[in-house]
Amino acid sequence: MALLATIHRRVIDMGLVPKIMKRLPLVSIFLAAIGIVLFLMLPMDGQYRHTYISENALMPSQAYSYFRESEWNILRGYRTEIDIFPSMPSRDRNLVMTQWLEEFGTKTSVYHNDEYGDTLYGIFNAPRGDGTEAIVLAIPWYNADGEFNTGGAALGIALSRFFSRWPIWSKNIIVVFSENPDGALRSWVDAYHHSLDLTGGSIEAAIVMDYPSSSDFFDYVEIYYHGINGELPNLDLLNIAIQITEHEGMQVSLHGLPKESLHQNNYFSRLRTLLLGTKDALLSGIKPRHGNEAFSGFRIQAITLKAKFTPDNNDHDITSFGRIAEASFRSVNNLLEKFHQSFFFYLILAPKYFVSISSYLPSAVTFSVAFAISSLSSYINNSYSTLPIFSEYNLLAGLLFTISITFSFFVARLSLLFTEPRLLVLGSVFLSVLPHLLGNRFTIPEPLSYRLKSIAFLYISLVLTSLLVLNFSLAFGIGILGFAMTAVKTITIHSSMRVRVRNTMHLLLSNPFTSVLLFTYIFDKDIYGIKIFYEFIHSWNTLNCWTWFIICVGWLPPWILVSISSIQTNTVMQSPDYGKKQL
Amino acid sequence: MKGSVGAVLLAGIALRLATTLVFPTLQQTLDKSVEFSTPITSFKSLREGIYLLNNDLPVYDGGVVHHSPMLLAILSIFNGSEFLVSLFYTIIDSLIALNLIHILNYFQNSINFNNPTWAIGLLYLFNPLSLLTCISRSSTIFNNLFISYSIYFALNNNLLLASIFIALASNISIYSLLLILPVSFIIPKNYSSTYSPTHSHSASIDSNKKKISNNNNANKISKLNCSRLRFAIFALLSFTLLIAISFIINNSNWNFIYATFWMDLSSSKNFPNLGLWWYFFIEMFDSFIPFYKTVFNLFIVSIVLTISIRFNSSQPFYSLILSIGWITLTKPYPTLGDISFFIGLIPFFKPLFGYLKYPVISSLLFLHAILLSPIFYHIWIDVGSGNSNFFYAINLVYALSVALIITEFCWAMLRCEYDKGSPNYKAKVAQI
Repeated sequence: MALLATIHRRVIDMGLVPKIMKRLPLVSIFLAAIGIVLFLMLPMDGQYRHTYISENALMPSQAYSYFRESEWNILRGYRTEIDIFPSMPSRDRNLVMTQWLEEFGTKTSVYHNDEYGDTLYGIFNAPRGDGTEAIVLAIPWYNADGEFNTGGAALGIALSRFFSRWPIWSKNIIVVFSENPDGALRSWVDAYHHSLDLTGGSIEAAIVMDYPSSSDFFDYVEIYYHGINGELPNLDLLNIAIQITEHEGMQVSLHGLPKESLHQNNYFSRLRTLLLGTKDALLSGIKPRHGNEAFSGFRIQAITLKAKFTPDNNDHDITSFGRIAEASFRSVNNLLEKFHQSFFFYLILAPKYFVSISSYLPSAVTFSVAFAISSLSSYINNSYSTLPIFSEYNLLAGLLFTISITFSFFVARLSLLFTEPRLLVLGSVFLSVLPHLLGNRFTIPEPLSYRLKSIAFLYISLVLTSLLVLNFSLAFGIGILGFAMTAVKTITIHSSMRVRVRNTMHLLLSNPFTSVLLFTYIFDKDIYGIKIFYEFIHSWNTLNCWTWFIICVGWLPPWILVSISSIQTNTVMQSPDYGKKQL
Repeated sequence: MKGSVGAVLLAGIALRLATTLVFPTLQQTLDKSVEFSTPITSFKSLREGIYLLNNDLPVYDGGVVHHSPMLLAILSIFNGSEFLVSLFYTIIDSLIALNLIHILNYFQNSINFNNPTWAIGLLYLFNPLSLLTCISRSSTIFNNLFISYSIYFALNNNLLLASIFIALASNISIYSLLLILPVSFIIPKNYSSTYSPTHSHSASIDSNKKKISNNNNANKISKLNCSRLRFAIFALLSFTLLIAISFIINNSNWNFIYATFWMDLSSSKNFPNLGLWWYFFIEMFDSFIPFYKTVFNLFIVSIVLTISIRFNSSQPFYSLILSIGWITLTKPYPTLGDISFFIGLIPFFKPLFGYLKYPVISSLLFLHAILLSPIFYHIWIDVGSGNSNFFYAINLVYALSVALIITEFCWAMLRCEYDKGSPNYKAKVAQI
């Protein structure tokens, strides 16, 4: 306490508090910079940790994997049959597959969905255990890129047959063949939890297999793990998958890193993985969906395994891909309880390195604090801070805030019915330029401008805080992309042209729609351009992914308020009693 | 003046009814959320109780209903009509706002409110927390209504009604019984004059005057003590009477005492909520539980006693508000409905606002805490990626923010006392 008291006295003596209060906008920028620096520091040595298996029961690769030579011919046999499947209607495909599954005693059923087509699934009941838990092996007929999943389907049926001969299973095994890894798989997962008659207990883990080729050999494995709405599978599942893959001698690529960069391990390679991972988490459900996203929201840990091929170097055979699934299933089968708690918040730097929540969270927290400080600054750093709470400006600002939220909500809702992204973007550009165009033809009272900004920044700060643990990447992304908002200045009659033009630039940069467009244009060639808005809507409709609503309801209203606040203002004379109270 | 009060109340009623109409499922959603509903205030169990009552079944045997028999009896007359029930709750909430306006009118000369007095009603009615509490049909708002009536009547020296209302409040939530002491202190000394909340009984502060009119004062003080005592006795008597009535309503069965009062005091249904209790009793050896429950209860009582005794002569009205805040903070089943009433009372502190040292921090903390609380509950219960520690951590932040608000006002009251009741915000009395 004595030290604190001394520091406090020094602070008072130096008059730091009023000085800092005057420079709050700088403090806010400083905090945002700290946030970015903290984030960039994560891949440095000492900031990240080696991954480890938290649940000892999992024991990945401890048992010998038997899905090898003896299964080759079976697998190839099935694959030869499946090779002609692409030309068959899905009904017939499912019929053949049903027959095969029933040959070795799997209970099968087909889930019909008018919108997404039929999904065939079979349940192999656990020889041991009470059958209240299940593991899912999901094989979409067509993968995220629209290729026919020949190898995946062959592996699916061959593995099911292989599993059915073993007495070791203590969890039911469900094998699912859906039309695609997107809406079709999601609708099945949804139906499994709500309406299906044939079920096998609560699903603990799911592995989606993607082997889009009839080739015997492949090169390396890509693993996808980001769920929607910021959910991640338990790190243990990802760890066992990576450990098993590497144990079988294959390389693991995360976030679509090319083969050449897989062996690198330096600051920049880790930073690259981190940034790609953050971007993928931000756009999860919006980017092409690989299948694991479909399981989000039901307490299912899910990952997607994808076999990658290179022209010259395919030296792992297809059964090794099957062994990843086999060994992962055996690991999960060992689980006596749920996956360990608090192992759901992580960022991956390399297949074997991760950053845990306590290290990465501060970088997003600083953005939330930076916005809160901007809000405080626009409240107190002007001559209107002493206006009473019920002054007309506060009420008007509150009213405008309510209107902008309602408006944004309707924009979000209406976009579901008529998606008109061009209109949204043009509208945003128009609203950014409008304050500048209006000039002095239309003015708002100066205190209103400050109050609007104050409310806007407080609101976005609250939005960021609430997203922190739900969807770190989204919070961090909105924080960075929207931060230019805080630089928008209140325009008076004396403001120079330069300030006005800058305001327009800042507004354009921080607008949710234009900045998302810009962001994907620079960083993600898969979905850049207008297409991303259709993907937003699609992900809401099929997967229930909230990103669109968060952007519209969490980011657009403060932006609208800031845009209004940058209309030229007229100074308001204050009556003398207002100045009395000191803050 | 009258017109604007009416307009405010009508606006509040319209807002509530419109919200219920536009979002018909909101009531059930809120009733499921731990922030707005606890086993002892939830509307679901109230409806269950009404159903049992209407069908002549034993109400308290199932261990689901923890509402007072009188509340069940009163609400059963609506016969399940959704609209009437919403209207009833809406009216109750607007009556609370009306009482706040009346109480502020009483202090109008001493609290320099700057804004018209209906503003306090507006603040209460348009506070999202009170709006949602009203829509969730939590029984907390009956407690709030009765307390506000009790304050109003006590200030107007209507001892009988004040005591009846505090007894009614205690009948809804047993912890309101503690408010008898602070409410008894706000009974004005002079029958005619109104007083300021910052220095109510000027005699005890200003010693010079005291000497001059010593005899006169002694007489008054004894009279005052007499009326306080009368109030306390009335309150206890009416509480007993209400229990007797409940006994008769409950088919001459005493089991309601266990299901309502004892349930609340002993927190025997361990359920996550905004409070500080539940986490302790998740995993505790059975033999320790009664001890800790006693200590927690003593903790509530002791601070209410000390705050009201300490400020009984200088700022009894403020100490009453702090007591309400304290009970909200420490009782076993708090909801956001309790805190929304406390927030509704905060504008009365207007003269002390200048003393506050970190209002920005405490209000931001409070905002973030109530926002994060449902999110942390969601990632614990729905998503499964968090656990109970997450939710309890945010409960602690919430408790910290409420405690900060209470201690800040406590400090402000002491400062005000130091300044002899006439605020002087500039004077520095402490180094820190």
